Amino acid sequence: MHEVSVMRNLLDIVEATADREGAEKINVIHLRIGEMAGINYESLKFAFEILSKGTRAEGGRLEYEKVDLRVTCAECSHEFSPEELVFRCPECGSGRIDIISGREMEVDYILLDEEGT
Amino acid sequence: MMHQINVGEDLRDRNREIAAENREMLRSHGVFSLNIMSAPGAGKTSLLVRSIPMLSEKYRIGVIEGDLQTTRDAERVGALGIDVYQIETGGVCHLDASMVHSALHQLDLDAIDLLLIENVGNLVCPAEFDLGVDARVMLLSITEGDDKPKKYPLMFSESSLLILNKIDLLEMVDFDLEKAKKEATDINSGIEMIELSCRTGEGIEAWTGWIENLISESRKG
Repeated sequence: MHEVSVMRNLLDIVEATADREGAEKINVIHLRIGEMAGINYESLKFAFEILSKGTRAEGGRLEYEKVDLRVTCAECSHEFSPEELVFRCPECGSGRIDIISGREMEVDYILLDEEGT
Repeated sequence: MMHQINVGEDLRDRNREIAAENREMLRSHGVFSLNIMSAPGAGKTSLLVRSIPMLSEKYRIGVIEGDLQTTRDAERVGALGIDVYQIETGGVCHLDASMVHSALHQLDLDAIDLLLIENVGNLVCPAEFDLGVDARVMLLSITEGDDKPKKYPLMFSESSLLILNKIDLLEMVDFDLEKAKKEATDINSGIEMIELSCRTGEGIEAWTGWIENLISESRKG
């Protein structure tokens, strides 16, 4: 269910971009999805097939790349990937951790067919 | 001719912008706000129904109820005689900043000091969307199991307070309280915790006290 609303919002971004570019067809949508974004890719793909029907993205290809979880320690600036979801700095032991990547739900790029070409 | 357009837009970007507007709007009206999140049935509405009468002695309260389809929660809370605005998300499994933004325009923000937002029952999506509130609170009822911090880490990492609800049932279920607390702290070292039972009333004063502290701190700052 989550993936349906996520896909709806992603398609809004894609459609707005296609409008700006005057595109006739959206051939490829390339996404960046964070490891910790809580998204199941199979469900997202299913949502894409349903929601793209009747739009310029219908029949287009959905692609994605996974973005690893990376965090940085707010105390000593050490950058690391937490194992087993323990958000504690292995260098200084601090629990003040900021996520730098891994929560993405991003449209990276799209491939379009332009009108009249 | 096919050509590539770099977009680089995260769907949370727009949400973040609207959340910032909400935050500014609430701040300028002197309203302190909380986003209350949990799985379905963990006791969000019961927590509100239990604590609003106590909180009403000190604050003028407004509530936003997020629900997929029904107005039942809003009716339960509205029966307490306070201002409730209902958002029916029409199947969307979380509240986002724009839904709350419209609600803020419907509420009389000068007539309230404390806004409680009850999110849609769900342990995944609500954590993704900042609503522009002062703090996020999550409820975990112990009947859900002690493995939830590891399974739904984002919810725990985004919350300032974890309420362990239905604590009166601890003897009856296989819930390792220490393990759940440790794993929640692994994810978020700063998370505060309150053991509570909406049924017996245990912990309700700790919860209202937590809110009072935050409000008096925010008024100082």
